[in-house]
Amino acid sequence: MNIDYSLLTIEMLTAGLALGLLVLSLVVPGDQRKGFGYLTAAGLAIIFAISFAFNGVNKEIIGGMYLIDDFGNFFKQLALVAGVLVALASIPYVEKLESYRGEYYSLLVFATLGMVVMVGAGDLISLYLGLELMTITFFVLTAFKRGDSKSAEAGIKYVLLGAMSSAILLYGLSMLYGVAKTTVISELVSTIQAGQISPALILGLMFLVGGFGFKISAVPFHMWSPDVYEGAPTPVTSYLAVGSKAAAFAAFVRIFMGGMPQIQEIWIALFAGLSALSMIIGNLIAIPQTNIKRMLAFSGVAQAGYILTGMVAGTNAGIKGLAFYLMIYVFATIGAFTVAIGFSNATGSDEIKDMAGLSQRNPLMAAVMLVCLLSMAGIPPLAGFAGKLFLFSAIVAQGKLWLALVGLIMSMVSVYYYLSVAKSMYMGEAADPSPIEIPGSLKLVLIVSMVVTIFLGIYPAPLTGLAEAAASVFALK
Amino acid sequence: MENINLFVLLANWLRQWLEGVGASPDVIEVVMDVFGTVGALVFILLNALILVLLERKAAAFFQQRYGPNRWGPKGVFQTIFDSLKLLSKEDIIPKAVDKWVFKIAAYLIFIPAILVFAVIPFGEGMIISDLNIGIFYFVAVASTATLAFLMAGWGSNNKYSLIGGMRSVAQMVSYEIPLVFSLVGVVMLTGSMKMSAIVAAQTKVWFILPQFLAFLVYFIAGHAELNRGPFDMPEGEQEIVAGPYTEYSGMRWALFFLAEYANLVAVCSIATTMFLGGWNPIPGLGFLPIPTYVWFVLKVYFMIMLFMWTRWTFPRVRIDHLMHFGWKVLIPVSLVNILVTGIGIKIYQWMGW
Amino acid sequence: MSDAVFTVAFYVFSAVTVLAALGVVLKKNLVHSALLLILAFVGVAGIYVLLQADFIAAVQILVYAGAVAILVAFGVMLTKRGDIRESNLANRQKWPALFVVAGVFAVIYALLGQTNWGPLAAAGPEDSVGILATLMLTDFVVPFETAAILLTVAMLGAIVIAKEVKNSK
Repeated sequence: MNIDYSLLTIEMLTAGLALGLLVLSLVVPGDQRKGFGYLTAAGLAIIFAISFAFNGVNKEIIGGMYLIDDFGNFFKQLALVAGVLVALASIPYVEKLESYRGEYYSLLVFATLGMVVMVGAGDLISLYLGLELMTITFFVLTAFKRGDSKSAEAGIKYVLLGAMSSAILLYGLSMLYGVAKTTVISELVSTIQAGQISPALILGLMFLVGGFGFKISAVPFHMWSPDVYEGAPTPVTSYLAVGSKAAAFAAFVRIFMGGMPQIQEIWIALFAGLSALSMIIGNLIAIPQTNIKRMLAFSGVAQAGYILTGMVAGTNAGIKGLAFYLMIYVFATIGAFTVAIGFSNATGSDEIKDMAGLSQRNPLMAAVMLVCLLSMAGIPPLAGFAGKLFLFSAIVAQGKLWLALVGLIMSMVSVYYYLSVAKSMYMGEAADPSPIEIPGSLKLVLIVSMVVTIFLGIYPAPLTGLAEAAASVFALK
Repeated sequence: MENINLFVLLANWLRQWLEGVGASPDVIEVVMDVFGTVGALVFILLNALILVLLERKAAAFFQQRYGPNRWGPKGVFQTIFDSLKLLSKEDIIPKAVDKWVFKIAAYLIFIPAILVFAVIPFGEGMIISDLNIGIFYFVAVASTATLAFLMAGWGSNNKYSLIGGMRSVAQMVSYEIPLVFSLVGVVMLTGSMKMSAIVAAQTKVWFILPQFLAFLVYFIAGHAELNRGPFDMPEGEQEIVAGPYTEYSGMRWALFFLAEYANLVAVCSIATTMFLGGWNPIPGLGFLPIPTYVWFVLKVYFMIMLFMWTRWTFPRVRIDHLMHFGWKVLIPVSLVNILVTGIGIKIYQWMGW
Repeated sequence: MSDAVFTVAFYVFSAVTVLAALGVVLKKNLVHSALLLILAFVGVAGIYVLLQADFIAAVQILVYAGAVAILVAFGVMLTKRGDIRESNLANRQKWPALFVVAGVFAVIYALLGQTNWGPLAAAGPEDSVGILATLMLTDFVVPFETAAILLTVAMLGAIVIAKEVKNSK
């Protein structure tokens, strides 16, 4: 069998970068490991640039085992651009590490590779292995702050719950295989008939939703996220929040929209329930949070609820909204977390009340935080507004007005706690009014996130074009 | 099949007799398996008897003393009387031990030791079960032998036993990897894991020639797997009394001893099958009227003598040196061997030989 | 193998697996639990043999019974302090847990029991190892390589997390 390996360029380059960093960190003496962060970011950026060559390429490898298509490419680009930003945002954190600096970046790129494989997978086995590559890398990165009890606690919680969710996911996949007798997703369409849905298939779907629901931290599978987000090193948290979530959403779309559109009515009901619960509970519990990372964790739960509405729509418009929203969510989330990185780097605190008066201490950080939070809340003219517009109009078009209403009301609720951070930053009095200095790499990340968030809010056309191309891979209504 | 030997004839006769009596195929299979197992068991016990004496004699030779020489001519009955003594001893179970674990460990160590003989081709047509995964079955079953050491070490509730058990696990799990990797080269050359196919592939050239590096790795890792000197830290008597065996006495202790020699025979049998041509006669000597199983046993005893030679020649190494050697030398070497073998096969195919 | 032998063997292996697994949960001594876990793995390997998946059975023995579970037992023995006989106790959640587990089991059992799984697959191929090897390097090359990288990451991660923190003062 001949396989066109050139189609796997992105996967191979990413793997090469990760392994190269690993070797380099062994070869370079410990005290000279300075430029690893920039090297990683540059490498990922180059791969990101190369990935544009694959826009419009729609090919299958090995009979649908692995897919190179616009949908996969969109999410690969998402993972790569998030990887670039996180690598840059990690630099001040990694400089404080005593050892394993090179390994940190290597693991970061391995996590990216896991996402890349996961979103390109055309069969359940590749998908699962990609997922595990990503998850296991995150286990390690979460516990990377050695000697820190919170990091260790987060690591062990993530390992136990992650293993549990993987087991549930695998059980679901095995039932899916038992019913469909194939692991290739594109073949599921023909082997699962709409008329005759077996009980095992329903059970399998429930387990699948549970397993992936853990990764996207949708209610009721969200319990782990606040503790893990809080304990993990903040750059890792930001990657976990965007990358892990986006890749799991891509897997959702692949399996459910790509493999089982004929039994939509079953899984749409499941997703509608998850979505509503996530939006309500995520937003309500975010209100009393005092730690910025925990607040962002619950806000992430709520965001998962919004994004799930794209699945509930079950149409190409829904996928487009989902893809678009996830991409802007990357910038908003990484922007917000990067402010938290810079702040805790300078002051050692993650508490919202300590951020009082941030606008005087560092206007850029305050501005970026404000823009990112408002974008997540969906205030026009920021990008989040466009994203929510796409998502909600897609479900309204399918007659699910109630879910759109829940989304709208909960968005308004979310404005309250987002703005309370802003109020503290702009109106509050700083206990220590000395200005905060942040390193250049963080400044770069902050500016990029802010500019992209504002730009895509005003002029979303470039991204909508890409998202539409991604959605067009699926032959839905 | 020419050269049909005594044992195969016996098996065929038994099978025909059972068919003649009208036994169902299931029953025939079970009876044949039972006979095969009993045959292997007799083989193991007989060898253990011989090997204990042989080891003592070999040790004596290397240390320039006489060794056992009281019972029978040149002391050949020594082992028999020793076993009688052990059998008649009181079965002591210390008060503080974890009784179940302590008792079961002694039996458990014997199970993998017997099971591996299911796939060993003693001679032409003389294999209890010629599995597709032959050599892999050996690797899998042998890997569980670690468990008995761990259980014995833990169950004895004695710090020396525990340290010994821990050492043996660390050592056996680590050295399993180069051991398996060294066998991969042979499997690559044969294209099969079936024991009969591996032996058949060596009628002309024994694999020790193209796979000499693998043979060396196997030989070294084999010592660690068997917990034999110079890698016998688990029972290093100067430091930890007798390791996992410290609290055992009488028959249970004898079982450990028996299993050790059964494992020695098994490891040497596999080495013979994989690298020394199995039951094939030495090239050029095929005309001699020697049955295949005699060739096999001769080669196995040659290997056993090599193992005894190293055991009584080299001093015991330190545990950290051992781990260092296993992970940083043996594993890379065996990986290189696999790579070179792969390239070699490709060149071979490319040249069209 | 005739049906009668198959059935008997299946129930023996199943009983071993289930009872050992129950023992893992119910035994108060953590080391006994770890050892019973190995027995459960062996029972599963037996079921693989009955399904003519000889290679998978050997992998199960080698990887799970021979390495993973032994390392688990090893870890337990090295780290446990205090009275080992009371190391694996149930807490107050015992009864709620039993209730939930029974409920989940009932649902799964009911749903799976009602399912028509379709015709059984034909008997396994004679040389399953050769076919597996070919498949791994052709159709499943992407998952195969991903698994290789996954193992590298796992090893790297284990070293990073487990190696002692240096006190550089």
